[in-house]
Formats: sequence, structure tokens, C-alpha cells
Amino acid sequence: MTTWEGLLYGIGFALQPGILIYCVLGVVLGSFVGVLPGIGAMAAISLLLPVTYYITAEAALIMLAGVYYGAQYGGAVASILMRLPGTPQSAVTALDGYPMARSGRAGVALFAAMASSFAGSILGIAVLVLLAGWLTRAATAFGAADYAAMMILGLVAASTIGTERVAKSFAMVTLGLLLGCVGTDVNSGVQRFTFGQTELLDGINLVALAMGLFGVAEVIGNVRDPDRQAVAERIGLRAMMPGRDDVRRMGWPTLRGGALGSFFGALPGTGSTLSSFLSYAMERRVAKRPERFGHGAVEGVAGPESANNAAAITAFVPTLTLGIPGDPIMALMLGALVIHGIQPGPLMLEARPEMFWGLVASFGIGNLLLLILNLPLIGIWVAILRIPFRWLYPAILVFVCLGVYSVRGLTFDIVAVAVIGLAGYLLALARFSPALLLLGFVLGPLIETNLRRALLISRGDPMVFLERPIAVGFVLASAALLIASLWQAFRRHTGPDRPRTT
Amino acid sequence: MTIDLTRRAAISCALALTALPVSAQETWPTEPLRVFVGFPAGSSPDVLARIITDPLAERLGQPVVVENRPGAGGVIGVQQMLASAGNGHTFGTTINGPLTTAQRMLESTGYDVAEDIAPVTLIATSPLVLAVSSDAEMTDLESFVAAAGAEEEALAYGSVGQGSGAHLTAELFSDEAGVSMLHIPFTSYAEVTTSIMGGEIDAGFMAPSAALPFVESGNMRMLGITSAEPFPQAPDVPVIAGQAGLPDDFRAELWNAFMAPGDTDPAVIDRLNTEITQILEDPEVQQKLLAIGWQAAPGTPAEMEERIATDTQMWGAVIDRVEAQ
Repeated sequence: MTTWEGLLYGIGFALQPGILIYCVLGVVLGSFVGVLPGIGAMAAISLLLPVTYYITAEAALIMLAGVYYGAQYGGAVASILMRLPGTPQSAVTALDGYPMARSGRAGVALFAAMASSFAGSILGIAVLVLLAGWLTRAATAFGAADYAAMMILGLVAASTIGTERVAKSFAMVTLGLLLGCVGTDVNSGVQRFTFGQTELLDGINLVALAMGLFGVAEVIGNVRDPDRQAVAERIGLRAMMPGRDDVRRMGWPTLRGGALGSFFGALPGTGSTLSSFLSYAMERRVAKRPERFGHGAVEGVAGPESANNAAAITAFVPTLTLGIPGDPIMALMLGALVIHGIQPGPLMLEARPEMFWGLVASFGIGNLLLLILNLPLIGIWVAILRIPFRWLYPAILVFVCLGVYSVRGLTFDIVAVAVIGLAGYLLALARFSPALLLLGFVLGPLIETNLRRALLISRGDPMVFLERPIAVGFVLASAALLIASLWQAFRRHTGPDRPRTT
Repeated sequence: MTIDLTRRAAISCALALTALPVSAQETWPTEPLRVFVGFPAGSSPDVLARIITDPLAERLGQPVVVENRPGAGGVIGVQQMLASAGNGHTFGTTINGPLTTAQRMLESTGYDVAEDIAPVTLIATSPLVLAVSSDAEMTDLESFVAAAGAEEEALAYGSVGQGSGAHLTAELFSDEAGVSMLHIPFTSYAEVTTSIMGGEIDAGFMAPSAALPFVESGNMRMLGITSAEPFPQAPDVPVIAGQAGLPDDFRAELWNAFMAPGDTDPAVIDRLNTEITQILEDPEVQQKLLAIGWQAAPGTPAEMEERIATDTQMWGAVIDRVEAQ
């Protein structure tokens, strides 16, 4: 079956009423649970899993996938309106989305998030259709050394996204790297900083960290400063629609973010997180006035949102062809397939064309539905900002607790989110960027594991990073970026055109 | 599917109602059962548990709720079961690790297997296959052992973590074959198979279902299996025992078992053992288990206790040797 035949066949398959209904169910559910911070797709898919016993494998996959990418749309809502990201990707969206909401441009931020999410998804689908085979080979070609080098590039590139001074950015990345050390070391099996707590053996709960640092810290900050009631003037349709200037600013970031996301999404592991951060860093770098970032730059919402949605689509490539789930939610979906006696593998495309092409077609249908569903909802979401804080904040805290508990069902994590929230408040007082901490936390363990694995495999020879073409590319890119940043910093301090900071 | 669910719920309710007069005579079970699983929803141990708990609920006339408490290789599941114990309706399923090797791998698990855990029955066992890339020159166990023995750490193998079944099995194999291989820990079989196909590492012991898709696509080859008999899911793979100089009794299997807190009423254990053993005799259940790589292996509580003891000793000896290196 050629690509076009496959795609046509898939569209026909996905439009059957018996399949379409599950696609609709999935995306609607996904976009609603995505709005609930931290609860997200994980809990929804866990709950839906028993239901999938009673429907066909294709319908099950299409429905669960709908929840997955649908939640990516919803995830932006809580980050933009309440600074409550349930994942590191949405934390990036909060960086500029939340300041936009604070300055009365919540509608524009949400519109930017939805439109770029849609555009990113469509890009991801196009890449998936045209390059699925190539992406699979790329994923197998990536060895430990290549992953380590790639993550280092990610860390270097994204370390520049903080709005504060370089030293503060480094401090936060380092703190994140340190927190990432908590738990069982993959290579040696040694338990680090667990203090005998079994709950810490798998590390600190990522959802607890994200919601503590952002959401809970924000709530504490606002309670202490009750005059900070959000700008809650009535927002009409006009204020919701972006101006011509906004649209012009969104185009390129959306395209660049989508391209980054499509590529990194296909690499299992942190593709989605990495591409969000990289997209944000890239937009800041190419922007004429980078100082706008962190204070409500629409590019900072459009790029990363496009990236993480594109990544959510191409992440299905390694999941289905190599059986490597990119994240715990993908692992759940694999589980649903296994329940139906389907082991994903290289033959999936040939053995089950209706599943592969049906899924791809359902991505297109589902994303279109999501756009139609979400645009009118923007008005309703924005109304959340009119809820008085005395009602909103207790509700937020309840949702945070529910969300954190739903991950593993451990009360330990609820205590953890409270402690992290307090720490996050102190960091915010000192104007440290929690997003960088999160990035260090996510990438740190992956860099360490892959670096040491690469050295183990090479029997201790560090030349492995210069002998593999992929690795050497990333190493050179990291070096170039570091030199460029240092040069810029040098010029900024000595040059005549010292930019004003706003 | 909603219709089916409601129908099932209705049957459960109906059964629960008919059970009411009996429960008046204080006959177990008087309330829903909770079964703790130390792995996330959708994982192989979770699917296995649900294959058992669905028919169990029908037979007991009470809902059986699976509680996923993932973490620490299944140890958190056992801990959470013990923390919620005391009402006679709390149980758990677990893989072998938390009951055999965890005490050696962790500073403290917080429970004593002999004292705190009452075995109910083994549910199923799974062997591991030794797989290599199809580009490799090793075509059978003989040539594999020869290649591995060429020099110290001539071959590198992947496992799903320090102290995992895949790691310990490979070490047991190396020891019996008189070779020494380089261990590269990963976190999932998918990572191991990708690394084998990418040519980074040479081999790995893994669940048959993890290797099969890549064997069928011609990317990988299976050289041997660790069970005593050929395994129905991969019947063509020769058993390792007795080949290439390995002892005839070479055997390494993972297992999954149903357990209860230590102070559970022996009558309840007996009842559960009877029900689960009968469930496992159903060919349809056996087929479902096999599809996810497990072979039904019901037995008595005493047999399970015996298995815990022998495996603790066997893997303990392997861990001793690994730690001594």
C-alpha cells in the first residue's frame, strides 16, 4: 500500500461511525481533563483502560490517542490562566502565557495556544505520513552517546531562557540537576538521597514538582498579596481575537516550533519537553527584542505549543514501530494494545494497516474537532479569571492535590507538593526561574544515564562522542551555541549599544 | 460497551444481594476486595492481575478493585497492601522481585516476607529468551558461548535494571557457562531491543513477547529460553538447559503470584486458593495469559512458600557473586 492509498484508506476507516464516535469521545474527554491541572491524560486513560476491553483494538487506540493529544490543548488553559502546568511542556507555555493573561490578554494567549497547537499537529501529521520510515530508522540509529549529546545541546540552548541574570539561570538548572539525582541510579542501582523512603526510589514525582513550583507557589504569593486580584474586566469577542500584529508574530514561531517538535517527538524519551524548551529558546534568540519574553510575548506561547503538539503526534512513531513509549501515557496506550494481543513492532504498518492509517487519519479529524471545540470555549475559560480568589484558590489547591494523588495514589506526594510549593514561593520571591529548574530535573537524569551508558558501552573511551556522526553534530552545535552566548554577553557588557532592560 | 458494563455491574449487584443472607452468618467476603498491584495500569503485571480479578469478582459475589501503586520495582505495592491490611479484604499480586530479591537490593523494604506475607498461590510464570541481532554471527547457543568466552567482557548485554530478573538471569547464565559479559542496564525491554538492533550492545535476556515482534520482522534472533520446557508462545526456541555446556537443570523464570497480608485467616487463604486455581484451569484464561507472555502455574500456598524460599536462595547467591565482582 502506498502512502496515499494508505492515507485514503485510513480516512475511510476513521470516518466509519463506529470508529468516529470513539475519536470524538477521546478528544472531548481529553480536552476537558487536560484543563484539570495534573490530572490530565494519565488519569483519564487509566480510567478508560478497562473500557477498552469491550471495543476493538483500533477503536481503543484511536480513543486513547484522542485523549492524549486532546489533553495537550487543554493543558495550555490551566498554564495560561492560573500558572498551573501539569507537565514541563505546559510550564513553558506558562512563561509568557500567564503574563499575557495577567495583562488582560488571556483570550489572545488562549487563541494563540489553540491555533498553534492545531498548526503544530497538522505539521506533525504531515511529517508522520511522509517520513514515518525514516523516523523509525533515525530512532534506532540514535545510541546512548547521541542521546547524551542531544540532551546536552537541549540544556545549553534552553539555559538561556531565564529572564533574569545568567548566574541565576545556572543556579536553577543546577538545582534541577541535583533534584533529578534523587532516586535509584539506573547504572549502578545505588539509591541516592532517598533517606530510606521507598516513595523516593523512583525519584521526585514530576507532577508534584511542576505544580508545586508553579501553581502552589503562585497561590501562596497571591494570598500574601491580596491586592493582586487579576485583571478581570469583561472580555468581549473582540479582545479575544488577536490583532493583525499578533497573527503576524505567530506565523514563523509556529512553523519553527512544529518542525522542532516533529523531529524531537520521534525520539523517545523527552522529545516533547525538549522541543518545547528548544522552541522557546529559539524564538527568544531570533526575536528582535528578546527582553519582551517572560512579560507576555505571544511568540513564547505559539512556538512551544506548536512544538509540543507536533511532538505528541510524531511520538507515536517509536511507540508503534519500536514499542518504545515516549512517556508513561504512551506506555499506557501500549498496554491497551497488548491487552488486545497486539505487540507493536516493525511489522505493525504492514500487519495492521487499518490500525496505523486509521490512527493517522483520526489525528487529522481529531485535531480539527479540537479546534472547533476549543475556540468557542475560550470565552468560558477566560471567565475563570472573574472568579474571586477566595473561591478560585481553594479550588485550585483541591485540584492540585487530586492531580498529584492520581499519579501514584500516594499521600507522600501530596506532602511533597506542599513542601515544593513553599520552596517555589521562596524562589519566586528571589526571582529565580522555576522553568529552568524543571528542565534540569527532566534532562539531568537522562544526560547522566546516557553519558555513563555510552562510556560503559565504549569500555570507557570518551572518543565515542567524537566518532559517532550524530553525537559529534550535537557536540559541535552545543559548543557553537556556548561560544555565541559568551560572545553576546561579552559584547553586551563592553559594547556601545548596551540594550535597556525593561 | 456501556451496556456490557452495566450488565456486569447488575450481575455483581445481584450476586452481592444473594450473598447478603450468607454474610449475615459472617461468611467472608462481606465487602469488596482490594487487590494491590505494584505496577501502573496497562503494564503486564496489571493486565495479568485483571485477568484474574474479573472472574474472581463473579465467583465471590463481591467487586474486586485493582489498586495500582507503582514504584520501586513493585515494592510499593506490597507496602501499600500491608498498610491497608487488617479487615480481611485486602490482597495483592506481585512479581517475584519484591518477595525474593528486594530485601537484598534495597536498604529496607519495611516488611519481612516470611512474617508479613501469606502466600495464596502462584498465578503464572514467564521464562526469558536470549536474543541477539540478526546481523550477529552468533547463530546458536554454542557459538554465543564461544563468542562470549573469547575474552573477558567480549560481549555486552542489556537488562531492565540493576538486580532485575533480566540482569540476574544473565549473570546466572554467565556463571554457569563460565563466561563474563559486560552489563549495560536500561529501564525497559524496548530500550534493550532498540539498542541491540542499533548494534550498540550484543544481546539481552528478555520476555519472549518483547523479542517476538522483532524476530518476526527479521531484526532479531532468539538463541535459547530459560524454562525447563519449550515455551508455547515461542515453541521453536530451544531450552538453554543442557546446551553449550550448561547444566541440565538450568532454569530461571519470573513469576507472578497472589498474596495476602500475614495475619489473614487461613480459611480465607484456602478459599482464594481454590477459586484462583479453578480460574486458572479455564483454557480461555490460560490463552489470555499466554497472549501477554505468561503461562498459568497454579499451586498450593505451601508450594508458593517453597518457591519463594528456593528463589530467594538462588538469586541471593547470584547477587553475592555480582557484588563480589
